[in-house]
Amino acid sequence: MQVQDKKTRNPAELRCKIGLLIFLLLGAALVVAGMWGMDQYSSSGFDQEAGYSYINQLTPELEKLYNEGIKPELEGLDAGQRSAIKQRVGELLITAWTEAAKEDRSALVETYLSDTDDVEKTQMKLLSVSYSMAGPKVSSKEKKALAAMDDAERAAFRDAVLLGILDDTVELPALAADAVEGEEDLKRDGILMQLFLTSVNKESEPLPTEMVNGLKKAVRTADPRFAAYSMAEKGSVSWIEQLLLSNTTTTVLIGVVLMFDVLLLFFLLKADGSWQMDFKWIVILAIIDFMVIFQVMPLVYLVFKAFFPDGKFTFEVFTRLYTYPMNLGALTNTLIAAGATMVLGTLLAFPLAWLVGRTNLYGKKFFRSLFVLTYMVPPYLGAMAWLRLLNPNVGTINVFLRTLFGLGDAPGPLNIYSLGGLIWVLTTFYYPYAFITISRAMEKMDPSLEEASRISGASPITTVFKITLPMTTPSLIAGALLVFISAASCYGIPSIIGAPGKVHTVTTRIIEYNGLGAQGLSDATGLAVFLMVIAIVILLFSDLVIAKKQYITVSGKSMRPNIVDLGRWRIPVTLMVSAFAVLVILIPFATILTTSFKTDVGKSVFDKTNFTIENWTEIFSRTETIQCLKNSLVFGIFTATIGIVIACTMSYLLQRTRIRGRKIPDFLIALGSGTPSVVIALGLIMTMKGNFGINIYNTAYIMVIAYLIKYLMMGMRTVVSAMSQIHVSLEECSQISGASWAKTMFKITGPLIFPSIAAGWFLIFIPSFYELSMTTLLYSNSTKTIGFQLYEYWTFTNQPQACAMAFGILMIVVALNFLLNKLTKGEFSI
Amino acid sequence: MASVNIKNVTKAFGPVVVLDQFDAMFENGEFITLLGPSGCGKTTMLRIIAGFEKPTKGTVLFDDKVVSDDKVFLPPEKRDIGMVFQSYAVWPHMTVFDNVAYPLTIKKVPKAEIKKKVDHVLAAVHLTQYADRIPSQLSGGQQQRVALARALVASPALLLLDEPLSNLDAKLRESMRFEIKEIQKEYGITVMYVTHDQTEAMAMSDRIVVINRGVIQQIGTPKQIYMEPANPFVADFVGKIEFLEGEVKEGKIVLDGCGQKLPYDGPLTGKVLVGIRPEQLQFAKAGDGELTGVIKSHFYLGNENDCRIDLGAGKEVRIIADPYESMDVKAGQQVSLKVRHYHAYPLNEDSLNFRKILT
Repeated sequence: MQVQDKKTRNPAELRCKIGLLIFLLLGAALVVAGMWGMDQYSSSGFDQEAGYSYINQLTPELEKLYNEGIKPELEGLDAGQRSAIKQRVGELLITAWTEAAKEDRSALVETYLSDTDDVEKTQMKLLSVSYSMAGPKVSSKEKKALAAMDDAERAAFRDAVLLGILDDTVELPALAADAVEGEEDLKRDGILMQLFLTSVNKESEPLPTEMVNGLKKAVRTADPRFAAYSMAEKGSVSWIEQLLLSNTTTTVLIGVVLMFDVLLLFFLLKADGSWQMDFKWIVILAIIDFMVIFQVMPLVYLVFKAFFPDGKFTFEVFTRLYTYPMNLGALTNTLIAAGATMVLGTLLAFPLAWLVGRTNLYGKKFFRSLFVLTYMVPPYLGAMAWLRLLNPNVGTINVFLRTLFGLGDAPGPLNIYSLGGLIWVLTTFYYPYAFITISRAMEKMDPSLEEASRISGASPITTVFKITLPMTTPSLIAGALLVFISAASCYGIPSIIGAPGKVHTVTTRIIEYNGLGAQGLSDATGLAVFLMVIAIVILLFSDLVIAKKQYITVSGKSMRPNIVDLGRWRIPVTLMVSAFAVLVILIPFATILTTSFKTDVGKSVFDKTNFTIENWTEIFSRTETIQCLKNSLVFGIFTATIGIVIACTMSYLLQRTRIRGRKIPDFLIALGSGTPSVVIALGLIMTMKGNFGINIYNTAYIMVIAYLIKYLMMGMRTVVSAMSQIHVSLEECSQISGASWAKTMFKITGPLIFPSIAAGWFLIFIPSFYELSMTTLLYSNSTKTIGFQLYEYWTFTNQPQACAMAFGILMIVVALNFLLNKLTKGEFSI
Repeated sequence: MASVNIKNVTKAFGPVVVLDQFDAMFENGEFITLLGPSGCGKTTMLRIIAGFEKPTKGTVLFDDKVVSDDKVFLPPEKRDIGMVFQSYAVWPHMTVFDNVAYPLTIKKVPKAEIKKKVDHVLAAVHLTQYADRIPSQLSGGQQQRVALARALVASPALLLLDEPLSNLDAKLRESMRFEIKEIQKEYGITVMYVTHDQTEAMAMSDRIVVINRGVIQQIGTPKQIYMEPANPFVADFVGKIEFLEGEVKEGKIVLDGCGQKLPYDGPLTGKVLVGIRPEQLQFAKAGDGELTGVIKSHFYLGNENDCRIDLGAGKEVRIIADPYESMDVKAGQQVSLKVRHYHAYPLNEDSLNFRKILT
């Protein structure tokens, strides 16, 4: 027995275990070190989570203060005066910081100023934020007096104060003169500068008090606070800077992830039993780490925050939320709208799928592509179109109906700004989800199952109800649930239709709450948890219903026998399907197009005075729009390219290896795609601003990561299913012929699955390109996308221009689809 | 019970003609097999009879009733046919009983009668104890019998079987062949059977219709098809055969190249194509046989001895000899062959091209 034992013990096992233990200890050491560092920091008074959050909020405010309140004044000075002011501000800044630190900090100021091209601006902003937090006191009496001034008085006061800093002899307004009574030199100038800053607006609030107090509370000691000022001045916190300033949390994060990886690897090795380290595990772990950090952690934290808003367990968030009628209304609206959309969408999708897949309907292929194409169109586009069509006052269809039935000029008869309107638009945009799922199931279903029913004496209709419907039920349910969850988590449509109509949904409430500071964020988490729970329940249920998972993938083939001859119904049914297509596809798109040529949205485009191409020239010449378009393209390309690399890697792992743990990333990716967009974005906002060692808030990274989490699966499924179709013997044959693994991938597998890789790339790119829901939460001034720009223009500025952008986006999507079709030689189109 | 009369049926899918002027009459109670290589049009013919395809031209009659012509087209559910599909098409969401009862349920037959009929047909296919199972719990052969029971339960006039045995393993296939034949006898039903397996066709059919490229090559009993194949295609498709070219000269066929002669008293003259099946040859004593040659190779298979004989000038024939009579044959040995029977066809482009037709 003893001998046997020794023999079966694998020497590699011991080596592996020792190696893992070393890494585990390393991870633990990092965590301990990081914790120690955090402890140091917290005793030094830097609450990083709150700190970074306020820093990020202050950035745009500071920019605004400088651009609107300071720059114009400085520009009013002559060159000499301006350089004198610059000189003086520099001195004030050093003095302020030196006093605060009770040690000389001129070197620190120099450091912060040295890497900037616009010293004047930088030091002015640094001084502004310093003075807001801890500058010369402005009494409430003085504030009141300032507030009492009218705009002209205030302007005169500010001019005088600014000049007073330059020249002691200038006569100051009474208020300022009183304040500097008995003070001189820097001290006097400091007070004047504070008065200059305070008087920037009626409220005497150069920067919002809430943020200033928040940052004060979060950063209590001098040097971290100066660092915070500098970060706020520069814009969002770069990750390098953050790593340097707060590497403590990052260290903890790296340590935790390392320990997690080691433990996971241990279980994988143990389950595998061979104790042979495999490079593939490193790849799997890397993908898992990415998903855990950017997807699982944010979601877990979101739930945690909803139940532990202040670190203690409470239902307070939920009771506060759900006793508020508007939220309760949003909740019921969401459930009703999503439920109705699910029912209507499925009721539309099943007959359409059947007609296209099982009968001799005219133009089946064309209709199929048409219905599937809608899937690739941004939903907000439909909302915009239907708003123009069904606006109670000027909606084209309403006007038409009123004229037709002589209803007079009263608004109506149809009103888009209603729950019904919301359901209608949601239905027209989400029925393709069910259509695709059901069509796919029908394509896979052996047609002889239906033929057997016919030959048994059943009519085509009986066959539909007794055979086709029951057989496709799992996919029908899956499709219906997909419609439900997509409609429930949709933001674009309810934000456009719901907001003016006061029809709130959970998503619009979440995004509204998010804009309302800390309390708002915590309320948003409560709603997000609600949405997430629905999504997860549905995801699990859907998996349960269809034991074999079915996902939406694209493919071109649709050669099916015409099992049912529509006979004399062939023409009427084709006409009905055409009418449906015209109603839900042609009319909305045409409306977008015509509106883009209008000056006044309420009048006809054929009215000579109303026709203009200005909207188009405008969107193509406005630098902001072009910048947004560039952002969208860049984000989309990055997301799709990173995504397709992961997708190909995962496909290889899933289809060509039996490596343990390969299904974990697969599961996480599926989970990500099932999570509502706003929930993903909210989770990222709450965890990616430095509090967990990573700060990518307000950057392009956070956008690309969010898109990846949401859309990666679409690309992955396409590549996986293509790879599963290629028999492994084709690869083995190449290797037997002497080709290396890499050469085989490049020469055999690559070319064979290239069409699917291209399709997968586009499937990730297109939704990322026009994304709105997540962008609304994650954008910053420098990372606005075309979808968001369009939304802003629609809501606040100019609907015809928004329509021009929308039609532009539509054209890009159609063009890409065409390109894809050419690229894959007709095998794929979306 | 029904006879099936197919008059001049042509079916084209776009420019591709899959059935060309198909003309046949099948009698009541006959077991008819449509035999041919894949893609020959046999399944299309079956689907036309079932009503799943509309012929481009021509008429189909059941007894005297037109079921399909230019004006009339009876949909499958009105044709009173039972059919077994290649994939069985057993509905996975119903139990065996419900699957089999379906044709009766559709006809709104009273429950008690359904029960009686289904039990009877399930007994006939030996599935009585599986009535409450769902199809995924059954083996391929059992599912196949469910399909058969369902096709039979409503006592249709005509039973169509589309390669029903092709998904079964060899042993099961043989026993099912027997069962289907038994059931046909019991129900006295007209059966049309589609297959590309000649053994199946030979074993089961009253008459075989050999089809190639959408054209009927020959209709006849298994014996006729085998012993008197109408053309080289039929001869080649059913059974094994070797072809040699030759010329009729003075009551003999002189084989090209080797110059050996076969006795001939048929009507052909000039160039001919001679087909000899391996079992039509027999080893003979020297000087006794029609042909002589040298054994090129031989494969001893236990129940037979499969030899190739070189007749000279590269011309070869194959003989499947009795192993006891050819125990000692060796490669290189000079042998004499007796020709018991052979087939001769005029040598023309068609007869030379039949192999191309096949593939």
